[in-house]
Amino acid sequence: MMFVHFAMKNIRAYRNRSLVTLLLTTLTTALLVFATAFMDGSHQKMLQNAVEIYPGYVQVTHQDFRDQPSLDNMIFDAKAVRQVLATTPGIAAFAARFESFVLFAGAEKAVGGMLTGIEPTAEEKLSRLASSLVSGAYLADHDGNQLYMGYELARRLKVKVGDELSFVGTGADYSFAADNLLVKGLFKTGLFEFDASAAFVSKGYFDQVMAAANYASHFIVLPANPSGADLLAAELNGRLDQQYLAESWRTTMAGLVQAMLVDSIFGYLTLAVIFIVIFFVILIYTWLTVFARMREIGVLRAVGTMPGQILQMLVTESVLLAMASVVLGGLIGGALAYYFHLHPIYFSFSEEQFKQYGLAASSMPTAFAPLVILRDMAVMFVLAVGSTLYPIIKANRVSPMEAIHHV
Amino acid sequence: MFRVLLRIALLSLRRRLSRSLLVIAMIAMSLWGLLFMEGLYDGMTEQVIDNAIRSDSGDLSLFAREYRLDPGLERLLAEPAEIGRFLDEDSRVRSHVSRLRQDGLIATAHYSRNAVIYGVDLGAEDRHGRLASYLDAGAYDFGDKGRGALLGARLATKMKVTVGQKIVVSAQNSANDVSALSLRVVGILKTNNMALDENAVFIEMNKARELLMVPEGVSQLSVLLYNKEKVAAVQQGLRVRFPELDVLGWDELYPALRQGREMMEIFNLITSLLVFCVAGLGIFGVMLVSVLERLREFGIMLAIGTTFREIRTMVFVESFILGFSGYGGGVLLGGLTLLYFYNFGLDLTMFSAGLDAFGMDAITYALIRPSYFFTALAAVSVATLVSVLLPLRILKKARPIEAINKI
Repeated sequence: MMFVHFAMKNIRAYRNRSLVTLLLTTLTTALLVFATAFMDGSHQKMLQNAVEIYPGYVQVTHQDFRDQPSLDNMIFDAKAVRQVLATTPGIAAFAARFESFVLFAGAEKAVGGMLTGIEPTAEEKLSRLASSLVSGAYLADHDGNQLYMGYELARRLKVKVGDELSFVGTGADYSFAADNLLVKGLFKTGLFEFDASAAFVSKGYFDQVMAAANYASHFIVLPANPSGADLLAAELNGRLDQQYLAESWRTTMAGLVQAMLVDSIFGYLTLAVIFIVIFFVILIYTWLTVFARMREIGVLRAVGTMPGQILQMLVTESVLLAMASVVLGGLIGGALAYYFHLHPIYFSFSEEQFKQYGLAASSMPTAFAPLVILRDMAVMFVLAVGSTLYPIIKANRVSPMEAIHHV
Repeated sequence: MFRVLLRIALLSLRRRLSRSLLVIAMIAMSLWGLLFMEGLYDGMTEQVIDNAIRSDSGDLSLFAREYRLDPGLERLLAEPAEIGRFLDEDSRVRSHVSRLRQDGLIATAHYSRNAVIYGVDLGAEDRHGRLASYLDAGAYDFGDKGRGALLGARLATKMKVTVGQKIVVSAQNSANDVSALSLRVVGILKTNNMALDENAVFIEMNKARELLMVPEGVSQLSVLLYNKEKVAAVQQGLRVRFPELDVLGWDELYPALRQGREMMEIFNLITSLLVFCVAGLGIFGVMLVSVLERLREFGIMLAIGTTFREIRTMVFVESFILGFSGYGGGVLLGGLTLLYFYNFGLDLTMFSAGLDAFGMDAITYALIRPSYFFTALAAVSVATLVSVLLPLRILKKARPIEAINKI
């Protein structure tokens, strides 16, 4: 307690130095807390968008489909998979899809694209297809040859809602499949590539025209708790026949997950450069203060104060300052993180870049995670105290006589 | 007189050697980090841009009017030979190459996908943008009969196609019919240009003409220059000579990359400002203490006839010795680090899936630009100069002669 008392007095006595240290550590802590919240928040948002627009949290496919995505590796008993999914707890919704690549031909143009049979009502809960409607109408389960297509694909084919176009493709039985389609609605997800190549019909119609009854290229599953997608995938792998494989978005979108990791690494690299300078400055200021008190330290040593006690006194000062700073910095950074969590930051200037990388997100909320904030504060506390140790230990090693005569 | 002042300044710095070394180390470390970061990040950005320029856009590309908005065989450059002759006569032009392009479909026996078919001359492409250097597997040769095809790496991965396998490409021809061509995959190209890697099927130009029923004309003419600074002038010349065409720079064709470069410049500027402000604070603290602890010394100097201007010069000399020593150390460390990564690159192969998602190379080579060192010199000079202004003001107000009488 005595050391705390001395430390408080010394902090007050060297007000300017204390203020600079307090300010620097506070700013650094706030910067780290906010930068982490921003990086985590933007990555979560990008991944969430990428997952929710179309691919979904959990996919069930034939086990060889990822390595060999051929018509031989489809799900040929969709009913059996459906039964397992219907009886597995923790699933909020699921639906079958059948993806196929075809050549679309309008009156003037022909363009290759993805034609997928979906279950429109179930799909509404699983992806953002329905909510991305920009003109016309979304599909209904009983629809026939009605097409719901990407806005950019429609633009490339020069068709609009109500127009007719045809497609040529391969049926599930390798037969030649072709039909005329009527454009029912257009969607715009913001993912340029997707909007320029994807089109959907109801699965009932698709099964007829592509000879795909009871077939599916994959099932899409929405967990009741999306953060538990990995657990649900593992649970499904235990319940499904061995020829099927359930994978969470972390596996199906491994490239994007790793991209976010790389982005975080470079973000922390930049922060590290800034922090090195800041902690050098704290070290220098501690050095200046400690050596300015060299004679005082010498006198204390001369009257019998043990080096350990002086060390304790100086370290207590540094701990108190660091503690006050990280709490203040944590509060500032946390408040900013909370504010921008509720009011996401809008990056209109980088919209093109986001589009190119298929991230479809120009407004980024920060992540507000109290545990992560506490972790960052603890890291900063250790660094702040650590950067003051060298001058404190060095000053404590000087002999009392040398210290008294220090100029 | 200056030599005397320089000597006194040096002696003062030597008297507080550890403190002086700390400040020098702080500046050196911050510069080292900044140079490394700037060189590496710029290297990343420029590599992505370079890939786009070499593999697709060139420094400039010529298209038929509005082809970019509505690409199709009805919008071709009708007289590529005439444009070629004009470009050949321009000494600023290094090379140019023509391509025929059409959206279509690629299919194997089991699977199909949308694709973009490029009719190219491989020899000309290699002389132009070193396309062969992007070869990831197989051979850079369409074969004697021209029945080979080169595929973008991501397209090949998605199709699960390897070298030697047969594919069928189909597309709408100039008569608005769908025509198809059977080819064998001879090579896989990994350009890290996402649009090409994701969709491109390169086939021999004459085969493309047969497939698309286009006996003459091309979709795009890509131009590379010797000197990037001449792009605007050459672009203007081409626009005047060929007013009926669209002459677009790489930054107009890839606005996302231009945005990325601009964002990186802003990001580097903010980081540098932050670092130099904090570093300036460190120098300020040391110079302030250095001035205040020598008030009596300055008082005596003034009393024996030294002018305040000479003392001010001495303080400036001290701070510039600190600043420039730090600059020297930082430039040496940073320069050597950049030189290493310029020659050997930073190998991030373990994150290649993530880097692929951003269209980046797994090995990033740092850039070394003279501007890094000049900017750093200017920043260190300004930080050093500004950080002694307040201590000098305090010194002037403190009336050092009165300080002689103080204990």
